[in-house]
Amino acid sequence: MSILPFPSFLDDVKEKGFKKAVFEGIDDSVERLTAGMNIQDVREALRGETASRRPNPRLTPHADGFWLHMRPSYFNRDVTGMYPSFRLGWLSSYFVFFETITGILLMLWYTPSPEIAYGDMLTILSNVPLGQLMRDMHRLGAEFMVAVVAMHMMRTWITGSYKKPRQFTWFTGLLLLVITGFLSFSGYLLPWDQLSLWAVTIGASMAEATPVVGDQVNLLLRGAPELGANGLLRFYLLHVLALPALLFVFFGVHYYKVVIYGHSLPPQKENIGEDSAKRVPLDKRVYFIPDMLTSEMMWLGVTTFVITVLCIWFYHAPLENHADPQVTPLGTTAPWYFLWIQGALKLGDKFIWGVAFPTVALGGLALLPYLDVTPSRRFAHRRFMLTIAALLVSLTTVLSYMGLAKFAVKTSAETEIVHELTFEPAHSKVGVGRTIPFSQMIVGAYTTAQFHGPEGMSATDVIAEFNAETSENRQFAQLIDELKLQKLSANQLPLRFRTIPVEEAPVLMRVMEEFAHHLDEAPEELPNVWGSLVITDNQRGLKRLDWVVSWDSVVIEGGDVQLDEDGNPLFVYETELVAAVDSDGEPVLDEFGEAVFEEVTVLDEDGNPKPLRRIFSDHLFIHEASAYFD
Amino acid sequence: MLGKSIDGKILSGIVMFVAIMILIGWVAINEEARMQSFVVQHTGRSIERGAELFASLCAECHGEEGFGQGDRAPGLNNPHLFGYDPVGEFTAAITNASRALVRFNDEMEALLSELTDSENPPSEERQSEIFARIDELEVMIEEQDAIVAESVAARAETLNQLSAAVENGLFPQWENVTDIEATTAINEVEVFFNTNGTRLAQVGWAGDLHGYIVTTLIHGRPGSDNVWLNSEGMIAWSQTAGGPLRHDQIEDLAAYILNWDKGSAWTSEDFMAVQQYGKPWSDGSLPSEPPPPPVGDNPLRILETLQAEAIEGSAVSGESLYDAKFGCTDCHRNGASAPDTVGTWTRVLTERLSEPQFAGYSAEQYVVESIVNPGAYVVDGYNSGLMPADFGTRMTSQQLADIIAFLKTQE
Repeated sequence: MSILPFPSFLDDVKEKGFKKAVFEGIDDSVERLTAGMNIQDVREALRGETASRRPNPRLTPHADGFWLHMRPSYFNRDVTGMYPSFRLGWLSSYFVFFETITGILLMLWYTPSPEIAYGDMLTILSNVPLGQLMRDMHRLGAEFMVAVVAMHMMRTWITGSYKKPRQFTWFTGLLLLVITGFLSFSGYLLPWDQLSLWAVTIGASMAEATPVVGDQVNLLLRGAPELGANGLLRFYLLHVLALPALLFVFFGVHYYKVVIYGHSLPPQKENIGEDSAKRVPLDKRVYFIPDMLTSEMMWLGVTTFVITVLCIWFYHAPLENHADPQVTPLGTTAPWYFLWIQGALKLGDKFIWGVAFPTVALGGLALLPYLDVTPSRRFAHRRFMLTIAALLVSLTTVLSYMGLAKFAVKTSAETEIVHELTFEPAHSKVGVGRTIPFSQMIVGAYTTAQFHGPEGMSATDVIAEFNAETSENRQFAQLIDELKLQKLSANQLPLRFRTIPVEEAPVLMRVMEEFAHHLDEAPEELPNVWGSLVITDNQRGLKRLDWVVSWDSVVIEGGDVQLDEDGNPLFVYETELVAAVDSDGEPVLDEFGEAVFEEVTVLDEDGNPKPLRRIFSDHLFIHEASAYFD
Repeated sequence: MLGKSIDGKILSGIVMFVAIMILIGWVAINEEARMQSFVVQHTGRSIERGAELFASLCAECHGEEGFGQGDRAPGLNNPHLFGYDPVGEFTAAITNASRALVRFNDEMEALLSELTDSENPPSEERQSEIFARIDELEVMIEEQDAIVAESVAARAETLNQLSAAVENGLFPQWENVTDIEATTAINEVEVFFNTNGTRLAQVGWAGDLHGYIVTTLIHGRPGSDNVWLNSEGMIAWSQTAGGPLRHDQIEDLAAYILNWDKGSAWTSEDFMAVQQYGKPWSDGSLPSEPPPPPVGDNPLRILETLQAEAIEGSAVSGESLYDAKFGCTDCHRNGASAPDTVGTWTRVLTERLSEPQFAGYSAEQYVVESIVNPGAYVVDGYNSGLMPADFGTRMTSQQLADIIAFLKTQE
């Protein structure tokens, strides 16, 4: 009799002996945890044997358990290979959980406030063990997730799996695609660097084009006319709360529909107009336990391994400078998966291309199963829809390409060229001018004119000649004035150009060659151009690099160089004000008796008009430890 | 294939999970080094951004190389700011030697009194011991004396080398460097350096230099335009205090300024390179002399004053007043909104004074009137009422004389 007033484990021990009682207790717990499988059943399953008990205990977890009721208890052998699913649906789910886990870890270190957010990023990178890896994984996972979900949709289209009875499954899938896009987009803003601020500013400004409510939508989204503290908080809450909640709801619906209707078979495996996914012949059944379960666990390992390797050696999430609403970076783009909208916007009206076009495109996709009601899923019978699919992919690709910065409206050539050489790290790229090793930044003024001397002339002679020339035509003086204006210390101003020390500084040489090459590519806009790089010491471990472009000014209208009949650019000539004289050489006076001045083109010794010499410069500082050159 | 059979899948899965653990473990061991190098790299980039900000915002007054400008803004590339004591090693040597001397002299005294103790005379053996020790001590005292003399001389030499820097405002309390060195109380130098040797000690700042720089950047120096005659004063730079910069930019600037520190490698040349040292803060009492009165708005009386007090203008300081303090060049350039500065004096002499209404005017009188009473006459083609009419209440006679001297150079 038990010492307790109810039957207990102690009674079992008394009755069966300790060993047996413990074993039975464990066996019982396992059966409860797995909702139907005891230790023997689990063993048999993992050994690949058939179940020894009847009814089949491997089906009870699907019937009685919560987690597996969302998964079919068996699959048709024809859908378990790479084709037709390519595992894209499974991968999408994988990334949902992967992103949730890495995201929660990052949340521990993040505060959604413009004053703190960027500092938190730096903390994650500088003071949180494995912080960088977590951030890289979360970011890479997000990029993969968008791509995988989109590919999953295209696969469903191509195999016609959206057809009856799976129309609504398709619709929830489309919702999940949109939510995934917005999740990724809302996460973009959180680091609060230049990349995120401007990509999101561009993205959010599309909402502005919505008629009537555009301004309100924009205001709701940003929390203020400009993205700031409120906007960041809203994007954060969207990212961690609202969108995930929606995502999980539709994720559940989507999965439930899959259980209800089964996985659609490859089109050629069933008769036209028939849906045999739920009628799987006995010899074609692949049970979830153990086959699919072990399969999925293995893929879980493989995929995570691949992402880990990628994040350790091949991918690091970008982090640019602190967000600055006052400084618009050149060449800002939306995130790649929204590039197609940015490209479309370049075609014309903001409302038509930025709002109407994406809405119609998504609406068309949502209605697709209801518009395409032909019964056949065979490829040969769906030439029209497959063509549309191919066109959609091509259109998106072309529009995305048009969305790239290089397809943007160009600013003036000299600005573009200097920017190309000096831009700060962005999108995992950096201006080549920043990659010169610190030891190769040898103080001096170098010029691209070194590469344009006559054939066979030594570099030293070319530079000597160029020094004489620029000192005579005062272009060097103009360079000095420009440097002074840019607050280069008087003690540091160069005295003359020097040859590039190619032995000690091969990378400097390469950069100067690239500089010259860029300048040569704009012969119409920048005639008689030379570029210069002036390297000076600034502080211990800190150099200053001034990039200068000097050229003859030409007439530019609407971004295009104006040409004369012979196709030569029209120059802007230097003018000066001189007192007007009449034909007798007497000064012309106005009605008050004051001398009249007139604007006269300056002529050189040969009597030709003198083109106006323009100069442009930008400078950057490079610290020894910045390691742009790694 | 491994992935086909259940055994194979379980094996591959386990291998993958173990591999992931090993990889993450491997990353984890290297995290310390990675994080350190990230900090170094990030500090480098912070200094770069600070350099950029300094060139565009600070160099105007503090100088491109941070040496400061006369009566405009103090040098930041400045050993005094970084707390470098130019005579520290000598002072330490003197202190050490003095301490040793006290010890040796005490011992000598003790030995002598033992020797001369009549009641309890030392034994023969002890006597010879004492004599030997006294001989030793005499040599050692001589050595230490030499060290003190040498160090005092070296310190005086170094301080003399700094006299040019003293003229630029280093140690303003130090009436005469050589005087203090000549006093017998050699410790005075040490005491002086303890309270004045660094900028932080001078202003009584208890925190570190980084905090001092950051707080100055955030709040600026309200009222410093009264301290620096050629400047509009240091504004509050942080958005916190209504300025233009975010806090991370303030930190970038601080990182850049702190990167001027040479630690113990500063030299007397560095002291000399500084154009202007920081001024000590007032102790709360009023300035000993009241500030000079403004010139007023009566041109003739102003000219009389200038003549009576024999005030000579300096074109150099006039230019700085004209450009920065009073901001004349904001409008007087290009001739767009006000007559161009270039050619002013020529135009006054050749054009203005030939006009009938200025009969009997001297050029100075015309210029003074135009400054203190700008509405009296407006050159054709420009709008009246644009130029502030309160310069008479903002300028001292000396400043006006400086500006006239500068305008005389604009031919």
